[in-house]
Amino acid sequence: MRLKRGVAGWAAALGVLAVVSGSPAFAHHSFAPYEPKLQIKFSGVVTKFRWANPHVYIEMDVADEKTGATRHWLIECANPGILNRVGWRFNMLEAGDQITVIVSPLRNGEPAALLKQITLADGSTYTNGGPAGPATID
Amino acid sequence: MTERRPRRSRRASTTMLLVLVVATMPAGSAFAQAGSPAIRGINGSWETYPPRAAGLGSGEAASIPGPAPIPDPPLKPEYLDEWEAERARIAELTSQGLPPVTSGMACLPEGMPGMMLGTFPMEVLETPGQVTIIQEAFTQVRRIYLNEDAPAPEDAEPRFAGHSAGRWQGDTLVVETVGVKDYVRFRNVPHSPNMRIVERIRLVGDQFMENQVTIEDPQYLTAPWTWTWMYRRWPGYKMQEYVCEDNRYFVDPKLGYQRLRVE
Repeated sequence: MRLKRGVAGWAAALGVLAVVSGSPAFAHHSFAPYEPKLQIKFSGVVTKFRWANPHVYIEMDVADEKTGATRHWLIECANPGILNRVGWRFNMLEAGDQITVIVSPLRNGEPAALLKQITLADGSTYTNGGPAGPATID
Repeated sequence: MTERRPRRSRRASTTMLLVLVVATMPAGSAFAQAGSPAIRGINGSWETYPPRAAGLGSGEAASIPGPAPIPDPPLKPEYLDEWEAERARIAELTSQGLPPVTSGMACLPEGMPGMMLGTFPMEVLETPGQVTIIQEAFTQVRRIYLNEDAPAPEDAEPRFAGHSAGRWQGDTLVVETVGVKDYVRFRNVPHSPNMRIVERIRLVGDQFMENQVTIEDPQYLTAPWTWTWMYRRWPGYKMQEYVCEDNRYFVDPKLGYQRLRVE
């Protein structure tokens, strides 16, 4: 179900919470829902590239190597500011692009993941900025 | 009979003249002339120092020692126990991959003093009578009014950034801030309506700026809580846009923990 909430709705839902700052690495949220050590690598076709704060998202279709069945993945990236500072550009991806990613998947098994490294069709490679942590596999 | 120019067009000429004057001022002067006593040299773009993870700042290596880490708050025992228990609870849930919902997820800004830690780069604007600080994260803005007193805490409408008044004492900008919302909590530390934040901001050489922060709140603290932040000048950095509400892809706060919403 798609939730539609205004800022006021979010604030109401969070009404009992304090505004807690002080973690320099994460402006918006924790990356703890992702596997802390496990990284996987796969290739696929971009279906959507959403360049917006507080996080950039890539959606992609990935064919299962054995069955050929397609699985749709949601890849979380840092925010536009961080990505600009490590060399990305807002228009460097579009639907239909072939990409290869190294990611840490969600711990709960759903097809979503935190990006560690992306390789574009032209072979250029980008990190997801320091707070997301480095790729540890090739 | 002399022909009088209509009022309207005279006003238009004045406006045009103003536009011309402003347009010919040096870039970055923000309406103040170079050499004006309003400009003390802290204006410009800054990143927090020492450097942190790639993408948060310029990527320039460290060149001088950074400040000591922020100590734990000197909370009174009746508040300290609760604060430590909450810290342990958050750490435990985070280790399980279920970090609790935070205000940042709702795109609420850090407020004071958190916005001065320099999550992302920040910009300082010096204009006559005012220093304005813009933090890129959450597009936070604070205005420090110079040479006037901060309001009494009971008269200060609670805000995220509070109300700041500043005064140059020699080479140091001393800023007092009151009126921070009670649920705006730096490092989850509770405070009273009488909390007072005093910052002593000064240049260290030309490339660095130091901010000695002192939190005074006798109701909650056994002593002032103090630490130092440092910033490094980032010449030419242009602040980026950060509209946090642009993308609500992310989590369902009803679950009570952070979870990517996968559709």
